[in-house]
Amino acid sequence: MTISWIQAAILGLFACLCSNSCMAGQAVGNYTIGRPLVGGLICGLILGNIQLGIACGVAMQLVYIALVTPGGTVSADVRAISYIGIPLAMVAISSQGLNPLGGSAANLAKSVGTLVGTVGTVLYYAVATMNLVWQSFGWKDVHNGKLDKLTAVNFGWPWISHAIFSFLPTMLFTYYGATAVTALRNALPMDGVAMMTLFTVGGMLPCVGIAILLRQIIGKAVDFIPFLVGFTLAASLHLNLVSVTVISLLFAVIMYEVEMAKESGPHDGLTSEGPTDDNEEDI
Amino acid sequence: MENTNNSNQLDHKTLTKSFHRWFWGALTCFSQEHMQTFGYMASMLPILKKLYPKHEDQVKAIKAYTAFFNTNPMLGTVIVGITASMEQARANGKEIDGETINDMRAGLMGPIAGIGDSLIDGTLIPILLGISLGMSSGGSPLGAIFYIVAWVLIAYFGQRFLYFRGYRFGDQAVSFLVGKQGAAIRRAIGVVGSMVVGGVLASWVNVTTSLKLRGTDGKVFLNLQNKLDSIYPGILTVIVTLFCWWLMTKKHVSAIWTMLILVVISLIGVLIGVFNPGLSY
Repeated sequence: MTISWIQAAILGLFACLCSNSCMAGQAVGNYTIGRPLVGGLICGLILGNIQLGIACGVAMQLVYIALVTPGGTVSADVRAISYIGIPLAMVAISSQGLNPLGGSAANLAKSVGTLVGTVGTVLYYAVATMNLVWQSFGWKDVHNGKLDKLTAVNFGWPWISHAIFSFLPTMLFTYYGATAVTALRNALPMDGVAMMTLFTVGGMLPCVGIAILLRQIIGKAVDFIPFLVGFTLAASLHLNLVSVTVISLLFAVIMYEVEMAKESGPHDGLTSEGPTDDNEEDI
Repeated sequence: MENTNNSNQLDHKTLTKSFHRWFWGALTCFSQEHMQTFGYMASMLPILKKLYPKHEDQVKAIKAYTAFFNTNPMLGTVIVGITASMEQARANGKEIDGETINDMRAGLMGPIAGIGDSLIDGTLIPILLGISLGMSSGGSPLGAIFYIVAWVLIAYFGQRFLYFRGYRFGDQAVSFLVGKQGAAIRRAIGVVGSMVVGGVLASWVNVTTSLKLRGTDGKVFLNLQNKLDSIYPGILTVIVTLFCWWLMTKKHVSAIWTMLILVVISLIGVLIGVFNPGLSY
């Protein structure tokens, strides 16, 4: 599999749309186009192998299931994971001749994706820093009372930041990277220590993503219990995720009732029937 | 300030325009220094233009929005809606100044960011992704399509709902999220989040060992993976995850360093024969 200049350029355009300081809005850009699962579908369409694209996207999505960016700090940026990592992983898997749906293809995808994840962080800070230039235009406009120009500052000028720090790097990395990845095949035998380590790490990387999520939701030791219950339901009883979610809703309702019973004082007059479900769907 | 004519009322069209500017541009001109400030200004512009016909009044009013702003962009929509209603009250001569508006914004952006990150990124997205991943097994595009449709609909209409709720109820709109009932709901949703994350881990991650001890006659007398599975299925996966959590939470190791530590563990494991993916061309 090779990547042409046109394909590399389209990948670059998607990278502009989906970073954290994205051109397509947070909900659509960063949270939709940027998620590796969706990126896998888009890369699959661009490179002409949807099944392989989706398989890579699924594998990488697990590593980056927790993309929380508290206070605007990122550990990895989606533009590089989805639009540099997935295309290169697709090239690597097809040049190694692996079964796209096999576990080893997935582990290779995870390792390749994580290698470029750090590139994304650099690009993210580069775009955010260059945006300071457009913002300084904006402050001048506010000072001089030219309010109409604020729209261009917010929606127009950042395209230049992205052209330099999202479009160009993605295009170059995917075009030249694909050649390099293919050449690596001969250098690294599959049963050598390097490749075996790479595949083993690939299998463990999602644990880091899950651990980042746990850091968000676990405050004290007892909070591990629902986590382990969920794990046991799926690992030992082989329930799928929808079933686990339904069971967890039951515990959530009980938990809500207990918490509200503790607060015996009057509360703001919203109904107390099934608020967990309502709230979840509203947001 | 002196008149109460139609220009001092916000219509649905103006509010929708303001909401769309936030939805599409909250973080577009993001920088580490001012973060979402320009996204906020851009979405308040239609409101100010509608409320203040005189240009110098518009310029005066936008000064309140030049202050630093950063929060969870999803739930933060409610704050934009609240300021729209406060700005309308101010234009109609109520005793509200830019400082009052800023105090409200500064007071809300912290809690809303915390709730939003744990609710959206920590619970809702993993649930949606977990379901979608299951639908995508075998390389099917179905899961990705399901995620796109489900999330975009939830995000657009959810944020729209929050914006207009903020506008209608003003600063009372958030009592639902940060009050006593809000705390109970957050704890309840935390349970859903933890259980689903556990389910995602068990369904999708599988750390295994290839260690087999052989006797002198060449027969395997200990297959470690089978032994571990008979104690608690997936125990190695849980151990590796808790180890990563412990490194990051208790030892304050960054995510990148945690990954590098895993590389070292894998390398040693491969060398001594604990891990072997068993591949060949």
